[in-house]
Amino acid sequence: MNWIAANIIPLQATVTTFLLALSFQFPMRLGLFSLAGVGLFGVGAYSSGIAFAKFHWDTWSSVAFGVVVAALVGLLLGLVVARLGGLYLAMATIAFDMIVVVLAGNLTPLTGGYMGLFGIAGKVELWHLGIIAVIVAVLFALSERGGMSRRIEAVHDDAALASSQGINVSAYRLTAFLVSGAVAGLGGALMLMVRNTTTPDAYGFGLIVVALTVAIVGGTKSWIGALIGTIIFTWLPVFLTVVGEWREVVYGVIVVLAALFFPTGIWGSILGVRKRLAERKHAGQRDVVDEMATEPDAAETEFLQTVAGKDSEQ
Amino acid sequence: MIQSIMNAAVLGSIYLLFSMGMSLAWGTVGILNFAHGAIFMFSSFAVYLITSMTALPAILCVIIAALVGAILSVLMQTLVYGVIRKRSTDHHAAERNVIIGGIGLAAILIGFASHATKSGSFGFATTDQNPVLEFAGIRITAVSLTIFVVAIAISIALAMWIRRSRGGLALRTVGVDAETAKLMGINESRLAIGTMAFAGLLAGLAGGLLTIHLVAINPTTGDGLLLKAFAAIILGGVGSVLGVVIGSFVLAFVETFMILGGVGGWASAVAFAIIFLVLIIRPRGLFGRAEVRRT
Repeated sequence: MNWIAANIIPLQATVTTFLLALSFQFPMRLGLFSLAGVGLFGVGAYSSGIAFAKFHWDTWSSVAFGVVVAALVGLLLGLVVARLGGLYLAMATIAFDMIVVVLAGNLTPLTGGYMGLFGIAGKVELWHLGIIAVIVAVLFALSERGGMSRRIEAVHDDAALASSQGINVSAYRLTAFLVSGAVAGLGGALMLMVRNTTTPDAYGFGLIVVALTVAIVGGTKSWIGALIGTIIFTWLPVFLTVVGEWREVVYGVIVVLAALFFPTGIWGSILGVRKRLAERKHAGQRDVVDEMATEPDAAETEFLQTVAGKDSEQ
Repeated sequence: MIQSIMNAAVLGSIYLLFSMGMSLAWGTVGILNFAHGAIFMFSSFAVYLITSMTALPAILCVIIAALVGAILSVLMQTLVYGVIRKRSTDHHAAERNVIIGGIGLAAILIGFASHATKSGSFGFATTDQNPVLEFAGIRITAVSLTIFVVAIAISIALAMWIRRSRGGLALRTVGVDAETAKLMGINESRLAIGTMAFAGLLAGLAGGLLTIHLVAINPTTGDGLLLKAFAAIILGGVGSVLGVVIGSFVLAFVETFMILGGVGGWASAVAFAIIFLVLIIRPRGLFGRAEVRRT
């Protein structure tokens, strides 16, 4: 109990960072390099704070309001950037994040301007945060199973091919922005409720870097990756005080190493190793039964891939 | 009024010096360097470290800053970006990992500088003053004038080189289709290193000049400029020299006159509004060529 009391801030941050990382990760699973999560996190925080301070709503109504507003803003953004892809989408979403900061700084009567929003004394306990994190994780885990996960992967790998298979790609893209908004809004609203105060600077370029770092280093394929990234980056400074002082440098080194050697993130690399081990075991068993079996098998898969129209490069 | 136009022109020249190399590297060899702002800042920081031991003439400070910028940029290309591109199989993954690598590199450089300066500002100890020139009632410092002249001269030289020389042709070819360019005997990795060296040189040059112009900058100055550069590049069109010139000056003039008009609080929104609107209405910018899909 003492340990929990002493580490209440990193514990709370684990949940809000996890939600932010998920909001970055979900569009990436569909192949959308969107950085809108940070702006939507800010939208969630500010709209719940305004509901709490200006409309005098209670804690959970305010949080719900933040989630709904952020989800709607996410959906609108998704409609606006529907035709953009690749780096251009990244640029447009960074611009969106920065516009949120400028709006928060200039709409002073609502947001408190650059001085910030104070006195949001929401009643959110640690166990509330825990339950919410588990529910969200379960929902994300469900989206990673069965037909849904295969359709998401198809959109990621080749949108044109997915479309020709009857998958409504633009609906999936819009849903990605909606989900990203809802999760980011939830994270932002909860963060404000436990921190009680916020300023526009909190949603700047620095938070984009943190969110991207957490999502990429953990791995973008699964919620487990987001969790791994969150735990590493929230708890590293707590356990290593040296890291606290050189935090930015250490983060930078980790990110560069991840980009170089673990482009699929830590969880992606673990899955890769596991798959390779399974394949080796599989191939070994086959060898005993029939030494010839593996050779035509490889040719067959290659043939099937060609028929499916998948470029070997992709 | 004329004074404000002069100020806007100097601001635009800073944006231009900063954005030009970034736009070139992005539009030709396909590297969007998110650490460009950090190179800009760190070149200036390196000169600050040197001049804190012994004061140097201003011109030497600027030259050293430019060289440091070029070296940093080449190191990034050979140790990180080149390796990422060699290792990743598909184009989109390469693009994404180059951005992520750049963000990491920027964090390292900014982290070092913030640690050393305790996030405070730093400037150069120069042996000479920055004289104020005056003609026809307009006052301009020697450095401001230098910034403007250098930015315009480099833009013209670069535009001519790209259009007229064999190297420029090779660079344009890589920008249109890297694989075919390779088949035609163009050494892409050497070209990429050269382009990144030039981009880093310009970033360092901008860092040195801006530090003397403003007397001091701080470790996060580069981040702000990076976002401005995105706006200037996207407005003009990625890879177009004329585009980045127009983009930089439009951005600087709009910002300057918004501050004059008393709506300065919204001035920083201009850059982001430009990025957003241009991408939605005309994604290739004013002077960019239509996107050629490279798969």
